[in-house]
Amino acid sequence: MGINGFLVQVLATNRVFNPSQSNLLLRMEKICGSLLYELQIIWDEIGESDAERDRMLLELEQECLEIYRRKVDQANRCRAQLKQAIADAEAELAAICSAMGELPVHIRQSDPNPESLKDELRAILPQIEEMRKRRIDRKNQFIEVLDEIRNIENEIYRSDGFASNDPAIDEADLSIKSLKNCAENCRHSKRKVRAFYDYCSHWQLQDVATSLLELWNLMDTPIEEQQIFQKVTCKLAASEDEITEPDMLSVDYIDYVKAEVSRLEELKASKMKELVLKKKAELEVICRKTHLISDKDSAMETAIDAIESGAVDAACLLEQIELRIARVKEEALSRKEILEKVEKWMAACEEESWLEEYNRDDNRYNAGRGAHLALKRAEKARALVNKLPAMVDTLASKVLAWENEEGIEFTYDGVRLLSMLESYTVLRQQKEIERKRQRDQKKLQGQLLAEQEALYGSKPSPVKNQNVKKDSRLSCGGASKRKLSLGAPILQTPKRDMLPSAKATPNTRKAKTNVRINQDRLKDDGLSALSSGRRVSDKAGLPMKQQSPILVKAREPESPMLRRPFTPISTTNLSKPNASNISEDLNKKHNEMLHKAVIINNTPFTPPPKIISSADEENRTPQTTAITLPSTPSTVSVPMQTAITPAPLIQTAIIPALSVEDEIEYSFEERRADLCCLDHNQ
Amino acid sequence: MTAAPPPSTGRELSNPPTDGISNLRFSNHSDHLLVSSWDKSVRLYDASANALRGEFMHGGAVLDCCFHDDSSGFSASADHTVRRLVFNYNREDILGRHDAPVRCIEYSYATGQVITGSWDKTLKCWDPRGASAQERSLVGTYAQPERVYSMSLVGNRLVVATAGRHVNVYDLRNMSQPEQRRESSLKYQTRCVRCYPNGTGYALSSVEGRVAMEFFDLSEAGQSKNYGTFATGGCDGYVNVWDGNNKKRLYQYAKYPTSVAALSFSRDGRLLAVASSYTYEEGDKPHEPDAIFVRSVNEVEVKPKPKMLPNPAT
Repeated sequence: MGINGFLVQVLATNRVFNPSQSNLLLRMEKICGSLLYELQIIWDEIGESDAERDRMLLELEQECLEIYRRKVDQANRCRAQLKQAIADAEAELAAICSAMGELPVHIRQSDPNPESLKDELRAILPQIEEMRKRRIDRKNQFIEVLDEIRNIENEIYRSDGFASNDPAIDEADLSIKSLKNCAENCRHSKRKVRAFYDYCSHWQLQDVATSLLELWNLMDTPIEEQQIFQKVTCKLAASEDEITEPDMLSVDYIDYVKAEVSRLEELKASKMKELVLKKKAELEVICRKTHLISDKDSAMETAIDAIESGAVDAACLLEQIELRIARVKEEALSRKEILEKVEKWMAACEEESWLEEYNRDDNRYNAGRGAHLALKRAEKARALVNKLPAMVDTLASKVLAWENEEGIEFTYDGVRLLSMLESYTVLRQQKEIERKRQRDQKKLQGQLLAEQEALYGSKPSPVKNQNVKKDSRLSCGGASKRKLSLGAPILQTPKRDMLPSAKATPNTRKAKTNVRINQDRLKDDGLSALSSGRRVSDKAGLPMKQQSPILVKAREPESPMLRRPFTPISTTNLSKPNASNISEDLNKKHNEMLHKAVIINNTPFTPPPKIISSADEENRTPQTTAITLPSTPSTVSVPMQTAITPAPLIQTAIIPALSVEDEIEYSFEERRADLCCLDHNQ
Repeated sequence: MTAAPPPSTGRELSNPPTDGISNLRFSNHSDHLLVSSWDKSVRLYDASANALRGEFMHGGAVLDCCFHDDSSGFSASADHTVRRLVFNYNREDILGRHDAPVRCIEYSYATGQVITGSWDKTLKCWDPRGASAQERSLVGTYAQPERVYSMSLVGNRLVVATAGRHVNVYDLRNMSQPEQRRESSLKYQTRCVRCYPNGTGYALSSVEGRVAMEFFDLSEAGQSKNYGTFATGGCDGYVNVWDGNNKKRLYQYAKYPTSVAALSFSRDGRLLAVASSYTYEEGDKPHEPDAIFVRSVNEVEVKPKPKMLPNPAT
């Protein structure tokens, strides 16, 4: 049989080979046959034994079968692989479909007749590809959504460092449903977040709107300004949903409104500062009115300055100041009564000093503008002044009582009121002593005058300090008046010690009359003295009135200098006052008196009016000395006014012998120069 | 210079004299200040720069000084001399002498002469031009009733105040005799006399502390007067500015350490120099150091206030 037989068997099987395969098989059969034939030939040639030939043929058969078997196994294996593949594919497909929850588009034909395996496989592969693809897509979708969710979560839980790895995907469920769920979650989260933001924005807006309203209220903002922000403030009560205006919850808009609030708050701060300053001023006014010193609180000052920077709470400061104001008002109330009394006391003191001034005014009895008013005032003032001591006492005791009760000193503009009262009392006492002393002096003077009268039968001639220069150099122009007509030396001046005396030269005060155009106006002088009513005022403010000849009172101490010779004769006889000094002592006393003495004496005057008036004129001349020159003396001693006695008599009788030195006045510079010389000479 | 504002008394000049100040004057041409002193010196200051520009020593206390122009001046000394001082060359020469200390000195631009008043009871006029020999510079000697205490010039008029309260008014063109012989209308010793810049009269002050306003022309005396404002300095240490019309004080500057010995306004009225220097009004006693203050003058301090109606009650 052999191979050929085998082959024929194969051929004879049911398997249908296609023609080419049949041809091949046939060819193989042919070739095998030819090869076998060849083999036989060779064997024949060789002379192979049959056993050997059998063995080789068997071998040949075996080998051939081996090969065939191998091929069959291969094919088997192939078939198995295919089956496996198909099974895998089917499984995979099923899985995917189950996961995805859907079937492939190209539905697997449910062909009862199994086609070949390769067909099957071929059929399933695209499906599976498709599903794989869809699965990937789906997965991506999931990933997207889950990423989003993760982002949102990250945003919410910002600092938590949440998972940065991929979100977990449930492979088992990739269904649309699941995807939809995820998407829904995501949307939900988003919504929540947005709602949260909206809520924040809304809350901010509310907050800002509230602030706006508060500030407008506080500062009375005009309605036009408020209108701009109307839409914000009217929505105050609305919830987020109700805010329908576009962009109202946008960051920009909120910032815009916030800016307005800031602006208003700055305004408020500055106004607060104003308010605080106003209150502070109020406090100061109240303190001033009640004569309390408002203690300068430097801490408060710096606090006020810091208001604008916001470092200091203006409202708190305001409160502090209000408290202080309340306290001071209370204090003021308790001080009220005493302060009223103090006002009264001070008014009385003013009247007192006015009265003193008034009493010094010699012209006060002149009829003139306001004289009667002044008289009335003086009367009232006197009454008031009499009440003063009692007033002071009452006030002092009240103050003391107050101090005891309150436990603190009663201050008036920073000074203890009791000290003020004390000083005043002391001053008054001193003045009183002074006045008494002057009164005593005057009395003494009166007595001496009386003595003098008894002695000489007339009043002594006026004392006057003069520049006595015996040489004629004096008589340059002005001095001519002083030429002694009778050759007698002129004057007595009271002896003084230290101070330079402002020796008055005989003169009339009137500027007009003082002016001598020529030397021979001496005669005219008296007349002009009479007639010229005007007098240059050298006292600011006091009106000067013409002295009526009848008036005897000298305004200021004057030495009645007798310019005119007593005898109505020679005009050149402007003798020095026939002033005879009564006595040196008397003059001395005069000079020591620092008060204004009433001029006692013109009554014994019998001379004709013109002389009186000239005497009056002369009365005005400045007179004696003994006054500390730098300070303005309140009064100057008044020398006695003396009657003009027949000149020669008096003059010869009474002229004292005084050294010239005593009468010489010196300026400050001369004295200083002397001192310098003295020093120098030493 | 610090940025601190000057004290209320004004800026104190450096290098003041070492003894009392008898007078100080601003120049008519600049802010130079000439100061005469009892320390026997005359000093020239640049008040704006606060610098001492020159110093001239004398044989005795210098009682007065005045400018000729910005380059020279004159001095009156207790050593009886009248000197001319040339600033730039720091040279001086003696113009003449009196028989007693020379108390006052003025230079008259109108006549070109120097006029001096002395305690020897004379006025002397000197011609400073050219002549170096003393004899040739003396133009005239005019006797006064008493020792000359103060003098002032305006235009062609010279007012001389002496002891004994005499006041002589001269016309410089005719010095043979006074144009007017007057007496002070104040009771006390004359301290100072100054003519009004408008030439209508003079102000006269006494040691009592009063000031009298006088007119040259008596017919004007009765008319409405324009006294203008003027400043006075007293031994109380105060400088007051007065409104002569209203007879009111306009302003009082802060108190100076001691007596105000002299005052001078600068040529433009912008500055006021104050000599704070004890004037021996109370004899020899310890006193504050002598100082010169230069302060600026504000218009508000010296402008007269509108006249107020008199109050009948006062």
